[in-house]
Amino acid sequence: MTTTTVTTTVPTAARVVDAVKVYGTGDASVRALAGVSVDFPVGRFTAIMGPSGSGKSTLMHCAAGLDTLTSGTAHIGDTELSSLDDRRLTLLRRDRVGFVFQAFNLVPTLTVAENIRLPLDLAGGKGDLEWIDALIDVVGLRDRLHHRPSELSGGQQQRVAVARAFAGQPDVVFADEPTGNLDSRSGEEVLGLLGRAVRQTARTVVMVTHDPVAAAHADEVVFLADGRLVDRMESPTADKVLDRMKAFEVPS
Amino acid sequence: MKATNPMNRMNAAVRLSVSSLRAHKRRFAGTFLAVFLGVAFLAGTLVMGDTLRAGFDTMFGNATSGTDAVVRSADSITTPGESEGVREPVDTDLVTVIEQLSGVAAAAPDIQGAGQLVGRNGDPIGGQGPPTLAGNWITDPGLNPYRLAEGRAPEKSGEVVVNKGTAERGDLKIGDTTTLRTPDPVKVTIVGLATFGGEDGMAQVTFTGMTRADAEKYLTARPGEAASIQVRAGPGISQRELVDELTTVLPDGVEAITGQESAEENTDMISSQFLTVFTTFLLVFSGVALLVATFSIHNTFAIVVAQRTRENALLRALGASRRQVTAATLVEATAVAVTASLAGLAGGIGIAAGLQALFPAIGFPFPEGDLVLKTLSMTLPLAVGVVVCLGSALLPALRAGHTAPLAALRETAVDSSGASRARAVTGVGLLALAIGVTLSGVLLTPSLWLAGTGATLALAAFVVLGPVASTTAVRILGGPLDRLRGVTGALARRNALRNPKRTAATASALMIGVAVVSLFTVFGASLKATMDQTVARSFAGDVAVSTPSFGAGGSGLSPHLADAVQRLPEVDTAVGLGRGVAEVDGRGRALTVTDPVALERTFDLGTVNGSLRDLGTDGIAITEKEADKQHLTTGDKARLTFTDGQTQTFTVRAVYGQSELAGDYVITRDAWAPHRTQDADTLLAVSFKDGVSTDVGKAAVEKVADQYGNPEVQTRDEYAQSAAGGIDMMLTLVYALLALAVLIALLGIANTLTLAIHERTRELGLLRAVGQTRSQLRAMIRWESVLVAAFGTVGGLALGGFLGWVLVRASDGASDSAFAFALPPLQLLVVALVGLTAGALAGLRPARRAARLDVLRAIAAE
Repeated sequence: MTTTTVTTTVPTAARVVDAVKVYGTGDASVRALAGVSVDFPVGRFTAIMGPSGSGKSTLMHCAAGLDTLTSGTAHIGDTELSSLDDRRLTLLRRDRVGFVFQAFNLVPTLTVAENIRLPLDLAGGKGDLEWIDALIDVVGLRDRLHHRPSELSGGQQQRVAVARAFAGQPDVVFADEPTGNLDSRSGEEVLGLLGRAVRQTARTVVMVTHDPVAAAHADEVVFLADGRLVDRMESPTADKVLDRMKAFEVPS
Repeated sequence: MKATNPMNRMNAAVRLSVSSLRAHKRRFAGTFLAVFLGVAFLAGTLVMGDTLRAGFDTMFGNATSGTDAVVRSADSITTPGESEGVREPVDTDLVTVIEQLSGVAAAAPDIQGAGQLVGRNGDPIGGQGPPTLAGNWITDPGLNPYRLAEGRAPEKSGEVVVNKGTAERGDLKIGDTTTLRTPDPVKVTIVGLATFGGEDGMAQVTFTGMTRADAEKYLTARPGEAASIQVRAGPGISQRELVDELTTVLPDGVEAITGQESAEENTDMISSQFLTVFTTFLLVFSGVALLVATFSIHNTFAIVVAQRTRENALLRALGASRRQVTAATLVEATAVAVTASLAGLAGGIGIAAGLQALFPAIGFPFPEGDLVLKTLSMTLPLAVGVVVCLGSALLPALRAGHTAPLAALRETAVDSSGASRARAVTGVGLLALAIGVTLSGVLLTPSLWLAGTGATLALAAFVVLGPVASTTAVRILGGPLDRLRGVTGALARRNALRNPKRTAATASALMIGVAVVSLFTVFGASLKATMDQTVARSFAGDVAVSTPSFGAGGSGLSPHLADAVQRLPEVDTAVGLGRGVAEVDGRGRALTVTDPVALERTFDLGTVNGSLRDLGTDGIAITEKEADKQHLTTGDKARLTFTDGQTQTFTVRAVYGQSELAGDYVITRDAWAPHRTQDADTLLAVSFKDGVSTDVGKAAVEKVADQYGNPEVQTRDEYAQSAAGGIDMMLTLVYALLALAVLIALLGIANTLTLAIHERTRELGLLRAVGQTRSQLRAMIRWESVLVAAFGTVGGLALGGFLGWVLVRASDGASDSAFAFALPPLQLLVVALVGLTAGALAGLRPARRAARLDVLRAIAAE
């Protein structure tokens, strides 16, 4: 079992230790994660890459508290997730984690402004109004605040999702293929937003993607294959990532 | 490839629908229940009616098998509101004439009157509807419909035979002595018990048989009068031949009918008395259930079809014809319709059997015999159930057939049709028309027909306007939710607003249930208010003595009671109101027979034109309303024809403003005496002298009343409320039945919500992912349910209130007595709360299911 242990002096926003996730039982069981340990340091933009079925989405879901591990532990900050019941997990997601999904990120009955404020409203708090105001400018949607999601383009919808993810100033934002449904220009905008959020406001972002161009916006890329962490790459470029990915396609 | 034959094509449709039904069993539960209840109540009503009729047929057939002809006077005077007319008596001397005819084997006079027995506990037996009869015990067993079951026939004065049912109810046995109110109290000793046609009695009618001398003394105004003469034919003479022979000797105004005709008349009369109460309730409920069912069915199928758009589109893309897709949905509807209707039919037979078993248990003899299942009462409910179900599913089925093959490729299949402008215009037009028609039917030219049309139009307008109104209504009703429940409330409200058509259709079912409940509530309260107002306005006395006065029941009060009470030192005035019948200008009218001077002192008659002081034996007082109708004023002459066939001219000496308790025509006891039948007062009004407290006075009157068969003595308030007792009982029955209609509506709401949740799976997953707790999600769905229910409830209250007002106003216009309109705030509030609570309950299960959704799977769902 190859387990790459990473030691850093920077505090971690999220991490998993010896994460194992098995779906199903007996002969039908699938080992989606086969013992992964990885840290996502505070203030960093990390991309998780890997071929289909490598377990990258499962890793993200477990790290974000959307799914539970079969064994091993997942942490958000200092909180160990397996000890939390559904209610506490929900509150943790609401208060300390942000999400950007590939599609269907917004509640169709709520306006843009309401969607952005959704986690705060669910918590019943006001949140940091200046921060939210600034966010709205950053994502460039001030003139769309009272529109419904159906009146926005796909790129605009993802920008609203990004704003929503950061609205509560969470410890970490998880993005699952955030550009998967967008054309390249809109995708660029969304990735730029995520990058700027990390670099200008010291937020932490973990993004799952299979697109080398998207991964190139991250500070670091971790590569998964067959449920294992196989490599890490600092300061990635699209070409370097593409080369590394090609290696997976060589039958071993 | 060969073209498939139609059989195969249809098989494909059937296969599709069967698999769909199996997959959505739960979804059809509400639809099933609605059709089931509607059909069950319809079938139950019909079967019970047939069974009762057959039972009474047999009973009367048995009872009167020895009577071949009945001789009676030909004319009867029927007053408005009475089902049976009053007949002039026949002369008993005719018996001797008849007996001498060659075809006659035997003849006996049948003397009949009112006589109410007092039970062992001192309370009178019966009187709450069915007649309490007394008569002569006919000694010829063939002519007497009653048969001695125990004991012997009465032989001397004071001895009586009582039918078994009555004896049981009053806990009386042979040898017991009790009081018979005729209405003058008569001490009687029971010497025998009788059956009627093999039963313990003629339904709930009580019968006391006395000697002929006693009957003539107590039940008729003068000896020599009988209600009819029962005749038996000699051997070999048919009933028809006997009647023909009798007709030759009968004087003018006296007729003979065959025994069979007489039995049929009796059957008709008694079964209609029996049936109207139950059939009306059950049929109204059956109608409401079926109406609610149409909405429930339409909604379920509309949603199923909307959800299945992609599936249907795929079928169309693969080559299924429009017809096949439509047929698949219709076959599904037929399957639901037929199973539910058949189950309903079985349920209906069960209801009839249950009632047959239940009635005797609560002292309500139901003629024995098997249930009668006629073809019509089997096929009609079945046909109604199937037609309602198919009719409601037709539009959704056609829509399914019109699915474009391309719809398979579209992103979502969510039906989000809104309210069109045309709908708003049509709805508002309908509503305006409804209000116009109703108002003109209520205010301008009082007409029940116009008012009814208006009410129906109003219902239609509400249904058409539903989707338009639902948007505004939910926005307003849900307004406070945002503030109270924050984002959860806002989400609930907007979810309810998402699909106005669906929200409206879902709420419509509840709306109809609530509307009918509030209609009855308002009408009941108005009736009570009317009674209150009547008593408050026109009854100036302190206590009232009355006997139950529903229908023909009870024997009334002894005419001597008034005099006895008048002699009490506490009493200022005691006035008894008797009831007489006469034709005024050819139309049957009820007369009030009383002391007009005392009447004026104890009742507020409004403005009196002329004077009631000296009506004498040829004077009459009339209400303004009747006087206007007959174009009479003081000094005019009015011709009255009495039941004894005599016509007398009366002079109108007074016209008074208010009738209500006093009645429309007043004559003196002296004027009535020559024409009187069995004397009885219906009400005794007593006012006390100054300084006598109600309690003291009431106790004194009670002591006297006790000697006259113990009728109830009531204070003014008690008297006003006693009339309301019957109304409350009726309302309870109505509420129990309508609770079922509301239940059907609730299942509809739960159904719609479940389907909506299914459509919104991804959205719910998203909400959970970004931090909506399970309890917040449950609350969101429950509130949506409450909002839909609130819309239905408010609409129902408005519609029911309006219809109630229409009904009250129309009744006011169409009847002689003034109706008061009352909106009972407390009861209506309870109705509203029940509606809202019901909504919250309907949302429970869908909410629980939604909360169990797995977040990840929900996000990934298509």
